[in-house]
Amino acid sequence: MKKLLAVLLALTLVLSMSAVAFAAEDGKITIWTWDPNFNIASMKIGADMYHVDHPDVEIEIQEVQSEDIETAVAQAAVAGDLSTLPDIMLCQDNSFQKMVINYPEVYTDITDKYDFEGFGEAKAAYSTVEGRHYGIPFDAGTVVAAYRTDYLAEAGYTVADLTDITWTEFAEKAKEIKEKTGKPVFCTQAGSGDWILIMIQSCGASMFTEEGAVNLKDNEAIKAAITVYADLVKQGIILETNSWDEMIGTLANGSVCGTFNGCWILGSIMATADQSGKWDITNLPSLEGIEGATHYSNNGGSSWAITQGTDVDLALDFMQLYRNVDFYNAILPTTSAIATFAPAKEAPNYTAVNEFMGSPVFATIVEYGMSVPSNITGAYYYDARNAMATAITNYINGADLDSELAQAEDTVNFAMGF
Amino acid sequence: MTSSATGEKIKRVLMYAFLVIMSFISVFPLYWCFVSAFNTSQEVLGGKLVPGGHLAENIQHLMEQQQVFTALKNSFVNTLLVVVLSLTCCSLAGYGFEIYHDKWKDRVLGILMLSMMVPFVALMVPMFQMFSAMGLLNKYIGFVLPSISTPFLIMLFRSNARAFPKEIIEAARVDGLNEIQIFFRMFVPTMRPTYAAAATITFMNSWNSFLWPRVIMKTNESITMPMLVNNLTTGYIIDYGVVMAGVTICTLPTVIIFFFLQKSFTEAIAGSVK
Amino acid sequence: MSNSEQTKKPGMTMERRRSLTGWLFLLPGSVLIVWMSFYPMVRAFLVSLMRGKPTALEYSEPLWRNYQYMFKDKVFLTSLKNTFTYLIIQVPVMLVLALIFASLLNQKDLKLKGLFRTCIFLPCATALVSYSIVFRTLFAYDGFINAILVKANLLKEPVNWLNDPTGAKAVIILALIWRWTGYNMVFYLSSMQSIDYSIYEAARIDGASPFTQLTKITMPLLKPIILVTAIMSTNGTLQLYDESVALTNGGPANASITMSHYIYNTTFVTSPNFGYAAAMSFMILIMVAILSAIQMKVGDKR
Repeated sequence: MKKLLAVLLALTLVLSMSAVAFAAEDGKITIWTWDPNFNIASMKIGADMYHVDHPDVEIEIQEVQSEDIETAVAQAAVAGDLSTLPDIMLCQDNSFQKMVINYPEVYTDITDKYDFEGFGEAKAAYSTVEGRHYGIPFDAGTVVAAYRTDYLAEAGYTVADLTDITWTEFAEKAKEIKEKTGKPVFCTQAGSGDWILIMIQSCGASMFTEEGAVNLKDNEAIKAAITVYADLVKQGIILETNSWDEMIGTLANGSVCGTFNGCWILGSIMATADQSGKWDITNLPSLEGIEGATHYSNNGGSSWAITQGTDVDLALDFMQLYRNVDFYNAILPTTSAIATFAPAKEAPNYTAVNEFMGSPVFATIVEYGMSVPSNITGAYYYDARNAMATAITNYINGADLDSELAQAEDTVNFAMGF
Repeated sequence: MTSSATGEKIKRVLMYAFLVIMSFISVFPLYWCFVSAFNTSQEVLGGKLVPGGHLAENIQHLMEQQQVFTALKNSFVNTLLVVVLSLTCCSLAGYGFEIYHDKWKDRVLGILMLSMMVPFVALMVPMFQMFSAMGLLNKYIGFVLPSISTPFLIMLFRSNARAFPKEIIEAARVDGLNEIQIFFRMFVPTMRPTYAAAATITFMNSWNSFLWPRVIMKTNESITMPMLVNNLTTGYIIDYGVVMAGVTICTLPTVIIFFFLQKSFTEAIAGSVK
Repeated sequence: MSNSEQTKKPGMTMERRRSLTGWLFLLPGSVLIVWMSFYPMVRAFLVSLMRGKPTALEYSEPLWRNYQYMFKDKVFLTSLKNTFTYLIIQVPVMLVLALIFASLLNQKDLKLKGLFRTCIFLPCATALVSYSIVFRTLFAYDGFINAILVKANLLKEPVNWLNDPTGAKAVIILALIWRWTGYNMVFYLSSMQSIDYSIYEAARIDGASPFTQLTKITMPLLKPIILVTAIMSTNGTLQLYDESVALTNGGPANASITMSHYIYNTTFVTSPNFGYAAAMSFMILIMVAILSAIQMKVGDKR
């Protein structure tokens, strides 16, 4: 018995010694990010480029999931010890303001230390709190409407017919496309609220007022968007799936005519090699009768944050990469990460005609990105988003829109009232 | 006579049919996952149910993206440590609670049980602070420590110890064995089925443990298999063939462990005691 | 008087020594639980009395404010109702099924025993990613389940299971039963090894049906372990998180969200409210504790 215990104890001690050191040294940058094919791959290319002039700086890239980064920030902030955090970490744009507002002691204000000229205004707004910049914009979530050109041709349409139109015009044309092809035009995940948020941002509207109060029940843009959306769902023009993988499945199987999403969806489309040459993109339909309505919006994307207490100058020196057109040009072919930095659209890989899509889509998307109206996310973005998604589902199932939105607003106010 | 024999036969056929159907329903998702490891992402999403020829490719992509061997090693070390330590610790406690049971020990057990009733989310931040302060982040011992003693295993051993014949203890005491010797020489061998069940379940729980390693494992050198599988499912483009290859590698150890340990549930306890 | 006391004394010390030995046996386990669980629990409880930003928490006024708020929170009340629906239907069905499987797979003359046991156990070892995709595909609008039910005339037209408030709950309950029945079976099987097989033979000669054997022999003898699994399942279901996230994402419109899912959202998805999340967590503790106490009262009589 004693022997066994002694052996176990010794074993435990030995194993606990074999720890991995985790200290920030001089000339070392630690980066946390997720997605080996996208963020990590692009950071690795960036690190190689940086090493040409700075061979002594060690750059360590760790794969950490977005939610784990957020959890780690919360834990470190509560513990009052930021040493467990890296120097640079990626953050989802939709969460950025929530994180900065709740954990201001973690994020470095880089307003006066970094040049934000050239980045899309809406993109930079995601990581701005009270006029101060906390994030360096990275990948775009610029929304595109992507169509299967072969299906459209079946119905006698081209992508040009679906460009610069309103939702009413879209509904008419889509109805015909659906009838002739027998396929829904778009597909989205039920209960996610993605579409509504895309549509309201295209008008420069938000779920919150400038002052930060929740603004759902008297928000004309939201009402218009939900009405349009629900109508399209009821007509079967939009197919609602129950999960992300089902939605990707409809694209892979060719059971829908297109998709309406952040431009990162192109990665999934291009992964289906047998559909090469059958796709093209265009801008969004606009909401009629809403002030400021445009054909451009955003969904998803992320930006880089710099932790307080790290060697900010070194980190920012490295992050100059994100003002470097060569960098965007280099990462595009392997990662399809699209820039939100305007000059990048002149880069050779951006202006080249994309074989799969049949046009220089990447330059087009950067261009779209510059026209996206900015919106307010704030700390309660996900509270409002969840509440609104509930209202949408109930409305589609027959409930009254005004009272549903009023209830959603109450729910958010409840959360804000603590 | 013959009619009851055929009746018996029909009953047996029905029972086997029932078991076969239930086994099929139970295994199907895992079967699909194994098969999908052989297919491309597009085929997986299309619901293909037969294996294709893309296993090598999927495994290759998996190896390129993720440190599979590191994760396997970490998961094995973590899990084996938990199984050995927690079986020892909890069987001692379960035996103690049952064999020497009195009012006070029952009360203590009742209080200890409270510890499993709070959702882990609420404990994540305080536990992180605790482990961070002790310097146990990114370490095996950090993973192991909270899982060694669980009210569940203690209760399992306690309830199964109830069937342990008290006369054996009395007889052993008369023979001059001390209490610790009785535990190791009499109780442990008799309780083999319970140990096997506890080992299986602890192995599985610890192998699949997901939230806790994400709290304390902050470097890629310390990731575990479930974290690796999660890494595969969060990108903009998800390659479902690669995901299923990862899931298959992650699931196999539990399946193998169970298959071998379940044999211990066949030996009747009575025989081994006498 | 003094004489009888003297004769009693050695016996008493013997008993006391045994009792002390007993405490020694349970010391390491108990100390670890207190250290690893109770310490963070106390911290979490204090947080449950606080409000404010995660890094600037202060005691709320009145102290139980977070607990009061819960009963005004419609999403929490919905999640509470959902979780109890799962509990009431799933736990009994699953435990009875697990007992039936354990009895079937404990027969001496059963062929391919190991294979069947492994198959029935496998669901709980199956990773969430793969089984959630399979379940969602099977229960999709144009999925296998609808096809079968429509063909068998049990349904007039296909149901969008996961997008229907009742359907979504039903799928979660089915998934839970599917996943955990084999897990509970393992404990029953291990405990059945201490039942002498000759009891069953005697019963069979007396003409007892398999059902009577189950209710009259197996269940009474397995009572302690049934109690353990009942408490564990109650606890597990009240803390249910995985299925709510992976199968339905709480939807449609929160119709299937569980308490733990909501607590997680409150902590990490929406604007963090650690105090309220901790208060809801302790609400779960209170409920599990009450239910377990009832189960112990009923089941732990010696």
